[in-house]
Amino acid sequence: MFRSNNLAARVFERQILTPRPGTSVNLVRHFYENLVPSCTIYDIDCPDHSFRKFTDDGQYLVSFSRNHQDLIVYRPTWLSFSCKGEDCDAHSLPQKAKRFDSFFTQLYCVSLASSNEFICKDLFLYMETHQFGLFATSTAQSHEAPTTEGAIEGLPSIEKITFYLVRLEDGVILDEKAFCNDFVNLAQSMGVFLYEDLLCIMSLRYQTIHILQIRDSGNLVYVRNIGIFCREDDELFINSHAQSMGILDKSKPDDSSDRQVANGVLQLQVTQGTSFLSGIKQRLLSFIFCKIWNEEADPTLRVQHLKKKFYFHFQDYVDLIMWKVQFLDRHHLLIKFGSVDGGVARSTDQHPAFFAVYNMETTDIVAFYQNSSEELYSLFEQFYDHFHANSRNSLHTSFISSHSNNIHALDQLWCIKNKANSISQFVKKMMTSLPCTCQSQSPSPYFDLSLFRYDEKLISATVRHRHSTEHPIKFISRRQPNMLKFKIKPGPEAGGSDGRPKRISSFLFHPYLPFALSIQQTYMQPTVVNIHFRR
Amino acid sequence: MGSLLADWPSYNPHNFSQIRPADPSAQPSKLTPITYHPTHNRTLPPPNQVISTETRHILLRRFYQKSVEKLRPKRAASDNLTPDHGSKQLRGAFADGCN
Repeated sequence: MFRSNNLAARVFERQILTPRPGTSVNLVRHFYENLVPSCTIYDIDCPDHSFRKFTDDGQYLVSFSRNHQDLIVYRPTWLSFSCKGEDCDAHSLPQKAKRFDSFFTQLYCVSLASSNEFICKDLFLYMETHQFGLFATSTAQSHEAPTTEGAIEGLPSIEKITFYLVRLEDGVILDEKAFCNDFVNLAQSMGVFLYEDLLCIMSLRYQTIHILQIRDSGNLVYVRNIGIFCREDDELFINSHAQSMGILDKSKPDDSSDRQVANGVLQLQVTQGTSFLSGIKQRLLSFIFCKIWNEEADPTLRVQHLKKKFYFHFQDYVDLIMWKVQFLDRHHLLIKFGSVDGGVARSTDQHPAFFAVYNMETTDIVAFYQNSSEELYSLFEQFYDHFHANSRNSLHTSFISSHSNNIHALDQLWCIKNKANSISQFVKKMMTSLPCTCQSQSPSPYFDLSLFRYDEKLISATVRHRHSTEHPIKFISRRQPNMLKFKIKPGPEAGGSDGRPKRISSFLFHPYLPFALSIQQTYMQPTVVNIHFRR
Repeated sequence: MGSLLADWPSYNPHNFSQIRPADPSAQPSKLTPITYHPTHNRTLPPPNQVISTETRHILLRRFYQKSVEKLRPKRAASDNLTPDHGSKQLRGAFADGCN
């Protein structure tokens, strides 16, 4: 702990202070209390792009063109101007310095989407080790999808989704992978998860998890597809035995040799008559069976339990589909299962959701919980950071405040828990955040709850749009209570007098510099971009 | 040896001038530190022990721990319930259940 609040005194203290073991980064982060983005340039004249995000290493600002077809990448720099007078601090910033170009240099503009495709603005994943960025383009969504064999009905379909791997240093597209007539939930990167160099893409329509590896050369390589098959050679094995075992539907002999290849996954002709459940569904059902079997030692009671808990709900279990998936480490996945209508509806009451931990190497299900499980909630409360699957390569992601590493966040969580009407409702509400969305939180130290206190409804580490407020958002120091450190005023300088139009703001904070962009969008009016920085 | 400090520059020349040289009979260079040897070998590690970091993080370890508890079949105390034989117990259970 620093004894003084003065910046110069802290610098001197840092020379001789030995922080407690393992807390050197936490101590150094206290300097962010002194260096705050208190100066604002309102309504800066900037190119009309939709700014997406600063990369987590602070090297690039990613933005997309308004027509959602081009990718434009900027390098954040810092303004530099010289002042000839004596008392420079008193001078305000010269007008020519108050430009977008002072802070950003455009590196390149690359066209990703062709005529009828659009870049999905929400999806951007960054691989820090090689400075690769993952983007996606898609054609329009159609709700009347033709029913294909192997596809789940009731889900929309997109004619073509293409994932692009771009080297952000120079904008070269290194590789692309396309999925046709499929549906991947691209909103807020929910259907994709990046962990170190492994990428998993949840194909909802065909119920397959595609695991890809990003090689150093920039190639996207398929590792395995989990869904109908669990291991890489399952397909070969089943096909070579299929004819002899007569698994295929006997009622349609002319179709028995018909094979459809969809998205690189061979689809077997599974029609209504067959009861052969393969792949992950089989693993799940056998795990549930074993669990219920082993709960009871008495054989009669055991059979009764099975009837009540397993066979009675058997069809419900078979009808479960995978909704979302994330990596827990290189070999384990956390998969959310739900009913077909469940993923779309917001309410968690009628549509129970389940979570399963799946080991990709042994193809075993390790754990299975319902979303109201208090056991799972206690793991969520204690080990939330591990759900975020932070790889060991990136240092700053371990310092993002969460209720598992920060007492103030835990306090807030317990407040919500105590106010909740019923524990199970609270647990279900918390479980909606699992599986976690990749790279959804900004690592900026200004969101560190042990440094600053701020209104989480108005601004938070999660990058998303919020309703704008007239009042400035205050960041109050945590350690010196009620001392305002800085304010972010997202609105125009004069303050909007008319309350009519609804404004949506979003904030982009640089990961380590005292620098932020606030973007305000008003319906039918041009977007306003403000820059907040430390002068 | 004691007057080494007196030769160093200091803003007050009287500093360190009072130091007397150390007792020459107790010169540290001639003393060897006492070493301690164990008199028994009860606390020796096993010869093939390798200490390494657990690859699974704590969340996964908890999942596995809970699943082992649940999947372990509940039997009478007379049965041998070591985790190594857990899988074998399971197969036996099925055989009993099916018959």
